[in-house]
Amino acid sequence: MTPEQVGAAFVDRFGVEAVLEPAYGQVTVEVPAASWVAAATFARDELGARFFDWLSAYDLLAEGFAVVLHLYAIDRRFHVLLRTRVPVEAPRLPSLLPVFRGAGWHERETFEMFGITFDGHPNLVPLLLPEGFEGHPLRKTFVLASRVAKAWPGAKEPGEGAEGAPGRRRMGPLGVPDPAEWGPESSR
Amino acid sequence: MDLIPTIRRRPEPAEGIGVLGAEVPAPMRFVLNWGRKYSLWVFNFGLACCAIEFIASSMSRHDFIRLGVIPFAHGPRQADLMVVSGTVTDKMAPAVRRLYEQMPEPKYVISFGACSNCGGPYWDSYCVTKGVDQIIPVDVYVPGCPPRPEALLHGILRLQDKIGRESLGDRYRPAPVRPALPDAALQQALVRPPGSR
Repeated sequence: MTPEQVGAAFVDRFGVEAVLEPAYGQVTVEVPAASWVAAATFARDELGARFFDWLSAYDLLAEGFAVVLHLYAIDRRFHVLLRTRVPVEAPRLPSLLPVFRGAGWHERETFEMFGITFDGHPNLVPLLLPEGFEGHPLRKTFVLASRVAKAWPGAKEPGEGAEGAPGRRRMGPLGVPDPAEWGPESSR
Repeated sequence: MDLIPTIRRRPEPAEGIGVLGAEVPAPMRFVLNWGRKYSLWVFNFGLACCAIEFIASSMSRHDFIRLGVIPFAHGPRQADLMVVSGTVTDKMAPAVRRLYEQMPEPKYVISFGACSNCGGPYWDSYCVTKGVDQIIPVDVYVPGCPPRPEALLHGILRLQDKIGRESLGDRYRPAPVRPALPDAALQQALVRPPGSR
């Protein structure tokens, strides 16, 4: 099956719910969160993409999170790239564990990195982060506080010393909010 | 970080070494140190790409066995030297600490590479320990990202110099207890916590 045929199969089954997005020779099939499990089951049983490759997410800030699932058909050699959106206020999604047993660890990782809850997962506890870690580090709103505590210790340009070039404008660390809005100075 | 509450720089005073070990005359100490510095069983904590350079130094081209460093100790309980080569993460830090505690005294640590020295390129990461010296005392730091095997050989020579000079009596003498600083001195020139005036 070509990527276009995979996309067409989803449109045949899910109608207007399935939105196709062709890019770089792949077709990403976007389905609503309500059809998430049904789409994965369809890809496994009807299309034959039985190999669960990975599940992850990315942050779209105000537009919520996109959860992406990649499947592969080992015998017929085609890929399925499924995607859905969850809102940032209530990031919840039904678990794919009844469809793919291997999704368990991926959902745990997505849970701890993005704070997306997978309903029906029996053991949704952090997998990789140390105990007592607060926050979800792969969210774009997660502030890398180490940058505040310590500026980049090395040179910024080739041939420059660690003390920086003369006359360089002092810049705040990238990705960290203004001290007036975030950190100990903000509550003064 | 509450993972490892305190760093104990020295073990209990003179634990395991008697008066003779602590007070040997200098010529005898030279011989004892000479024996110890050329028999370093090494326990490699290979955590990232620096471990490959460590393996290269143990192989025939660089061959640190000719310096008396014997790789692949069967475990930390048989080792004298720990080489931490690679990125120490906060999740891994308790294991590094625990295996260090299992090593018999006297024990030495070489921090190999930028990551275990100070966090290296991951200086701003949310999960990387900013230097293994936050959890265990380090004797020799080898800089580089990754350092070449020659750099590790140089670090081993520096460590052997250090072992040759040291006196076990001094090493295990209890550190003098410093009087506690008043709270005002600790808060000097620091930012106030949020919500306080």
